Amino acid sequence: MINISKVFLIARRDLYRFWQSKQWLAGQIAMNLADILIFAMIFRGIVRKDLIPDYLRFMTPGAVALATFVAAFSIGREVGMEIRRDAVEYLLVLPMSRQDLVLGRVFGGMLRGLIYQLVFLVLASIIDSPPTLTQLPVLTITSILLTMSMSSLAIAVSSVSRDFNIQATFRALTHYLLFFFSNVFYTKQVLSLRFPHPLPEIISITPISIAADIYRWCFNYYTYIDLQSLALLTMWSIALTFLASIIYLRNLTKR
Amino acid sequence: MHSPTTMFRQIFLLIQWDLTKILRRVIFVVMRATWFAVQVSMFGLALAYMVSTRSLGLDTQTYYKFYLFGIYTSILFSITASRAYDIAEEFEEGIIEYHLSLPMNRKVLAIGRAIGGGIASTLFTLPMFLTVVVLAQEFSIAAIIISIVASLAFSIGIAGLVISITLSIKSGDATDILMGALDAILVRLSTVFYPAVVIKSIAPYYYSAIINPVSHLADLLRIFYSFEEFKAIAIANPIALASYIIGLAIGFSFLAIYVVEKKLEGGGWR
Repeated sequence: MINISKVFLIARRDLYRFWQSKQWLAGQIAMNLADILIFAMIFRGIVRKDLIPDYLRFMTPGAVALATFVAAFSIGREVGMEIRRDAVEYLLVLPMSRQDLVLGRVFGGMLRGLIYQLVFLVLASIIDSPPTLTQLPVLTITSILLTMSMSSLAIAVSSVSRDFNIQATFRALTHYLLFFFSNVFYTKQVLSLRFPHPLPEIISITPISIAADIYRWCFNYYTYIDLQSLALLTMWSIALTFLASIIYLRNLTKR
Repeated sequence: MHSPTTMFRQIFLLIQWDLTKILRRVIFVVMRATWFAVQVSMFGLALAYMVSTRSLGLDTQTYYKFYLFGIYTSILFSITASRAYDIAEEFEEGIIEYHLSLPMNRKVLAIGRAIGGGIASTLFTLPMFLTVVVLAQEFSIAAIIISIVASLAFSIGIAGLVISITLSIKSGDATDILMGALDAILVRLSTVFYPAVVIKSIAPYYYSAIINPVSHLADLLRIFYSFEEFKAIAIANPIALASYIIGLAIGFSFLAIYVVEKKLEGGGWR
């Protein structure tokens, strides 16, 4: 049986620690802003207009999806540090079930992702246009689903090794694979023209791609969104959260 | 005072230390290689297709070649910068204190680690470099040799820089943050993805790209292979680019010496 108050207790602790890592937050925001304000802005001038008419407006909602991922990964850094410094023993003897502990960590990571994303939501509202009242609930659900799955993934990935370098590399590799195999930087049309079938189709159903497309609709870059994609994102999030929670629990208790 | 022979032997031992460390990291090697493969296949090909090469003064094929040498430089930079994680870990485990207690001059220690870090990173990226040469369809033995020498000098400079930063800030967390941000910003504010001429209208970006070490190596490597084609869009002439890379290696190695001699005594690692 899950004890909600204990899940919240763990999440609150993780949230409190989030505010303490101001430098880390600043560093991450700088990285994400660099994607929008440097990469997208420069590419706006050199990307073929027949393929993507306004690259800055196209990429900004994609960067919102990436920002969610990066912030949720901050929980991964702390999990990695706990494993390196043997704080795991302490966590395991806390008076709560292991499911409560794992859910609390995932929930904490999700809250961090949502808070961090706010800056980029404002930026996307300025660069594209603000969401309407109809789009707002879809935007909120998408962010919750995405941050939850990314938080779980980060926790699982960072607990795989005790080695600092491998933890950082795993984190970076997951980050790069997720964003290269997504439509954050390129449209499905570009992928279809450049790569063989079924790679473009596969890329378009990854969680970051789905979320990026939903954000593009929420910020009025796309005029139409297939609501089935929201159902697919929900399935992805449930599966990733479940799988990653099992992996984290296994990594916590393995000797 | 140690004799030059002893000093060279000590430097050799430190280089060996860095090489052994990187060779033991099989997972690290596999992951970085995957990362590189995705960058040159997926990302690079999509980018080359999307970019309107006429505005760059290049054709599609040449832009991909331009991108390949840029991406190699960014990978070399990232891998050399990742030495910071090794050093942070060594500090956390007390290995730096052990190194300081060895009967070895501090200057030798700093220089040895900078050269060791540079050689290890260059050797590690060698298969990636050769892949770039094959993909770009450029096969000049002389160009390959000078490119490796230039890459080594660049990597020694960056290793010196990360040693100085990591040992100055003395925090694993701060190192993690700073290296991530530095990597993201320096690569984007360079000529890895676009020539400097494209960003000429945005002054802060343009001048950042001009002073950025990543731009210098990327443009120098491009010139070694397709001299006339890339010479016109490089940020400086080949002599200036090469002088910058040599200056980088010497300057940051001296900075590492300064940090090891002046900032490291007494521990203080959080």
